[in-house]
Amino acid sequence: MASVDPLDSALDLLRRLNPKDVKKNVDYLCQLAPSLTEELLESVDIPLAVKRCTKTGRDFLCCDYNRDGDSWRSPWSNEFEPPVEDGEGVVPSDRIRKMEIKANEAFDVYRELYFEGGISSVYLWDMDDGFAGCVLLKKSVSPSPKSSGSWDSIHVFDAQDRARTAHYKLTSTVILSLGTDSENLGTMDLSGNMVRQVEQDMAVEDDGSHVANIGKMVEDMELKMRNLLQEVYFGKAKDVVGDLRSIPALSETNRDRATQREMINSMGR
Amino acid sequence: MPSNNPALASFVESAPPGELLDVTKAIKSILADDPSALQSLTPAFEKYNEEQFATVKLPGGSEEVIVSPHNSLGDGRYYDVASQSSFAFDHATQKASAVQSYVLESSRLDLIKSLLKSLSLHTTEHYPKSSLGVYPIENDSKIAILTVASKYSPNNFWNGRWRSLYIFSPGNGSLAGSLKVDVHYYEDGNVRLLTDKPVSVSLPSSANASEVAKQIAIAERKYQEDLNKAFGSLSEGAFKALRRQLPITRQKIEWEKISGYRLGQDIGGGRSR
Repeated sequence: MASVDPLDSALDLLRRLNPKDVKKNVDYLCQLAPSLTEELLESVDIPLAVKRCTKTGRDFLCCDYNRDGDSWRSPWSNEFEPPVEDGEGVVPSDRIRKMEIKANEAFDVYRELYFEGGISSVYLWDMDDGFAGCVLLKKSVSPSPKSSGSWDSIHVFDAQDRARTAHYKLTSTVILSLGTDSENLGTMDLSGNMVRQVEQDMAVEDDGSHVANIGKMVEDMELKMRNLLQEVYFGKAKDVVGDLRSIPALSETNRDRATQREMINSMGR
Repeated sequence: MPSNNPALASFVESAPPGELLDVTKAIKSILADDPSALQSLTPAFEKYNEEQFATVKLPGGSEEVIVSPHNSLGDGRYYDVASQSSFAFDHATQKASAVQSYVLESSRLDLIKSLLKSLSLHTTEHYPKSSLGVYPIENDSKIAILTVASKYSPNNFWNGRWRSLYIFSPGNGSLAGSLKVDVHYYEDGNVRLLTDKPVSVSLPSSANASEVAKQIAIAERKYQEDLNKAFGSLSEGAFKALRRQLPITRQKIEWEKISGYRLGQDIGGGRSR
């Protein structure tokens, strides 16, 4: 038997186990196979943690891209929370930090327009032939005491500079968790994540164009993914339940189908 | 590696319908086929199969029969009432062997047989494919009624299972149980629906099999209707409240003018509220 790469197996396992437990399962996998730790933390998206920026009082989101040991860099102050021991922690170059500030302002507007609440954070970092970054958005709701939901989007991209254009590569994950609990229904949990990728070349005049280009790509992607999530969560999942059990009696359904077939056949004659 | 590793047990426990073998294969690869660790999975497999009402086709049989705590004979053997047989079940491979004839001895045998008959009318009308089990439990004082319907479509990246369990007490007519639905969808992602609905109905203590079957049919229909409604209300409620499809202006953002959007707007910007 050809041996399977343990990392691929770990990712396959995470694609099967309850997505609600992804953080716990990643921790378990790291205990079982410590050699996979770094790659797993890099490649598996878990719900975003929230931290408060001491300097500005604003909340920001934490992921592997703004982490240095046990500290996370605030996009609002550019400082690590808590301060990094032994040194300063890696921050972007001046040019990239300027773009990062602009991108955070822009996605703050985006967040308010689409999410009407929640938290956003954008992190950029320098690359040899351009730069890379991630756009993070998070919102939780409980529209009634009996139901709750949370949305985490994680958009990771890189931008390769070319003459007057840039080549963008975007990988987007949305983690959507919905639950309801009532006497009629018992408990119902509908949770998961979906991932999509896109690549695009777009015109660039200055660094401001980068922010606009990334904004458009993320906006288009989230629209597409929201429709997809709607289809899978409320269409597909419900259809599967209907495939398992039928509310109308199957003998009636089959009889109706037979009648329908007969009608179609007789019309064709 | 400790033999009672909680990580491995937890992986097995949350395997989606029809995917236990895939989960096991992945665990083996991650552990590089460490035989002692795999050995430790045996209790987890047994628990999983019994909780999930695993079904198996007996050698030479045509119907799939159920594996559960309620028809366990111990030592990895289980029995089926309808086919009057018992069998050994391998929890790791989910295969049956060593079938023997098994005649159930129970003071409730007549009721059990009538329940099987009445309920199979209901299951064939409402489940395209299902397995049914009726077993005496607790020294014949109660009867466990199980239905499991699974549908696997791995080529289309989804699998699903419906489980019903009822404990009927002929002495006082109480019928209590739970309905559970488990759906997994995993094309470019991982989405899981997990539900659990407790059911409790009181019947006259003289209730016969067809009355029990009727109450079960009513409870399951009601639940499925409520579940369908819940999909709608989550979509219209929590989902809509999380993210709009388009901004209130019904137009996409003009990113070149994004700095102008700040004017005249109070944007909270993730401040805690």
